[in-house]
Amino acid sequence: MSLQIEVLPAGNGSQRVILAGRLDTHSYEDLDVALAPLFNRQAHSLVLDLAGLDYISSAGIRSIFKARKALGEHGGKVLLVNPQARIQKVLDVVKAVPTGEIFASTAEADAYLDAMQRKLSCADQDE
Amino acid sequence: MLIRLIVPGEIARVEDLNTSLEAVLTRHGIDPGARADVRLIVEELASNAIAYGGGDDLDMGQHELSVDISREADLLTLRFRDQGAPFDPLSAQAPDLEADILDRPIGGLGLYLIRQIAESMHYERIDDCNLLRVSLRVPAPEKPR
Repeated sequence: MSLQIEVLPAGNGSQRVILAGRLDTHSYEDLDVALAPLFNRQAHSLVLDLAGLDYISSAGIRSIFKARKALGEHGGKVLLVNPQARIQKVLDVVKAVPTGEIFASTAEADAYLDAMQRKLSCADQDE
Repeated sequence: MLIRLIVPGEIARVEDLNTSLEAVLTRHGIDPGARADVRLIVEELASNAIAYGGGDDLDMGQHELSVDISREADLLTLRFRDQGAPFDPLSAQAPDLEADILDRPIGGLGLYLIRQIAESMHYERIDDCNLLRVSLRVPAPEKPR
């Protein structure tokens, strides 16, 4: 069992990617390759759906870091949705993602992104 | 001892190592949480030894990784042995977890993770080999199926 990656069509400034299986030293490069084109598109945010992810190691965490850095440079976010308890534990140990950017459901992540979008468009109007 | 496995020091063989260990641990009734901890420890230490010990660049057959695993009461102990360059993982500097993500270096996480999971770790350099002992606490074994 390795890693399955499903990149959903982008919408409304965010991009959803569903991961399943194992994100480790054998599979992280597949994720890096799959995500790379998304960083060029100036997508505001990336939502990683982790419900089906069974295992993550430091190699996988580094890939999430890289995505956070790439998007963070132009104000984008990486949100994690529905990680299994074990994955959450590993993410917590290395403080990979601020707790405010991990969500129990896609709906919660969407609501967060909508609020972020509204804030951005308000800021645009103020200028 | 439950098992001893010896594989060539190549990244591609780390998965073989873990697949074999997982089968043995399952047969001995070690619970899934502890099995996942073992997988993580083996992946991090083996890929570290290969990346920094000169594994993939040296002549194959020269560089080997050996892992054995044993259980005593609620303590599971893994012993790693490799013939790579001397490296004491316990001397590695802990990553700065409080720094802003954009400033944080991307390395150093694997060893930090293991140190958080393990009950105890001990390193020795003997006969040109790195010897690392990692113990972790496991729940009482499930009934073998």
